[in-house]
Amino acid sequence: MIVTPKPREQTRARYPDEEGYVERDGVRVFYEVYGDAPTTFLLFPTSPISHSRMWKAQIPYLSRHFRVITFDPRGNGRSDRPDTAEAYSYWEFVEDGRAILEATRTETAILAGICDGGGWALMLAATQPAAALGVAAIAPCVPRLTPSHPNYRRYPSLEPLDTDEGWAKWNVHYWRRDYRGFLEFFFSQQFPEPHSTKHIEDCAQWGLDGSAEALVCSDEEAPLPFASEEEARALCRRVRSPVLVIHGELDGCQPRERAVAVAELTGGTLVALEGAGHLPQARHPVKVNGLLREFAAAVVPTSNPGH
Amino acid sequence: MRACQPSRDGYVERDGVKLHYEVYGSGEPTVFLLPTWSIMHSRHWKMQVPYLARHCRVLTFDGRGNGRSDRPTEPEAYHSAEFTADALAVMDATGAERAVLVCLSLGATWALELGALHSERVVGIVFIAPGLPLGLSAARLAHSFTERLDTTEGWAKFNQHYWREHYREFLEFFFAQMFTEPHSTKPIEDGVGWGLETDPETLIATRLGSSAPGEPFSDPDRAAELAGRLRCPVLVVHGDQDAIRPLVNGVKLAELADGELVTIEGSGHAPQVRDPVRVNLLLRDFIRMSRP
Repeated sequence: MIVTPKPREQTRARYPDEEGYVERDGVRVFYEVYGDAPTTFLLFPTSPISHSRMWKAQIPYLSRHFRVITFDPRGNGRSDRPDTAEAYSYWEFVEDGRAILEATRTETAILAGICDGGGWALMLAATQPAAALGVAAIAPCVPRLTPSHPNYRRYPSLEPLDTDEGWAKWNVHYWRRDYRGFLEFFFSQQFPEPHSTKHIEDCAQWGLDGSAEALVCSDEEAPLPFASEEEARALCRRVRSPVLVIHGELDGCQPRERAVAVAELTGGTLVALEGAGHLPQARHPVKVNGLLREFAAAVVPTSNPGH
Repeated sequence: MRACQPSRDGYVERDGVKLHYEVYGSGEPTVFLLPTWSIMHSRHWKMQVPYLARHCRVLTFDGRGNGRSDRPTEPEAYHSAEFTADALAVMDATGAERAVLVCLSLGATWALELGALHSERVVGIVFIAPGLPLGLSAARLAHSFTERLDTTEGWAKFNQHYWREHYREFLEFFFAQMFTEPHSTKPIEDGVGWGLETDPETLIATRLGSSAPGEPFSDPDRAAELAGRLRCPVLVVHGDQDAIRPLVNGVKLAELADGELVTIEGSGHAPQVRDPVRVNLLLRDFIRMSRP
């Protein structure tokens, strides 16, 4: 057997001050805490296609002003990898976030997330309003709120296909056959900005820390959290805290209508980023960091005395 | 858009050739970021200017042949002595009696002349990826620059006929060699853009001028003689993956000039662009040491 050594983790600009696990139904989920400022950001992960390093351009900046909590999603990073689809339902990730707030004695936080994580942040805010100072949802995914992005409707995702071209790679059979090829394709689509080779490489590498099986569970087989569009809309309407929605105009994963709907239904503010793709926190970090800090200053005026 | 705007800019003129200079920041010492080969202009220092200008006064100018400076057509106008005199004229015009010199690649020849022949104007020199005739790869020596070749593969593109006919392709090839580090698409794009601000005829003249007999760029004895005459502090910074001027050039220069050598692992020919934090900190430490 040939063993390829796992690449060493990249050095970090900022290391956590505290780390630990929460355990729910036998699944351990790993979290990190940076800093001890009075106002906390909980940065949700996204699906097991990535892990908490996706926030690497936010953590060092935000933790100079705020306490920052990150966690690895079940199915990637240092969290466990359950093998049933039910264990990857949206609500499970929401409950993981809730358990981490409790474990870290965090009564209130600004909840931030990207894609699925944006949906989870909204769901936590809707079901535990007292905990949510605000929600910052980047390219949020709220299933059934709107039709999914056309990219996901080009090919069937569960049936074997006779092509691997383009979005035919969004297919569980292809994932099982060539997970790296899928990740490289997928992230090249999510970074339409020029000069993104490093970001694509990073994301593909983080994806390889997870597995095709976890993604099959979370993205294709897990039960959806809402039975209808109306349920999804009702969830958004239940959010009482201020909401910031950030959406890249070239997003190839979450449609603009979805970001617009989230902002409208929550009474939030939508910031559209020109020239940005699905992952502006990675590709436009200065812009996104500034927006997050301004949002925090607006929802917790005392959090930002120097501003 | 620039991170830092010049506090002053202007032109000096020598023998009818106008040269555009810029001044940033204030404070001692003056750090003079010299031009390099006119395939690029002074924007190649864009990662250094905003950082250094927080600590001291920074001078830059566009070398003759690119940027906002004139483009004389005859090769003699690109002899090393001309660039050296241009640099002195810029120092005079900006009231810089003495300066720490920082140079890249071909700029090494002008820094050598300034340091050896005008030592009273030079506080110290940082040579980044010095372009001196102290060791070239066989691949580069295999092809004539002036004769028409029967191949355009690889370094055969370093040829005046190819430049005239395929200038952009040459630039793309050259800057890909310059930035051997992964994730260099942006620096390569920048470099090609700067190269396109001049033209093949001008670049051919610069090449013929700088490689004329007796020039420190082409004559190893002349380069060694100048290096041996340096009396100021010298730092040489060279990437070990430099595909334009191999590391041996930096090693030999540091020996000849009795300077310090810092080798940057994994770096190509322009670490000031591709490893700016590392290079800026080296510059900061060197400048601090030279403070009166």
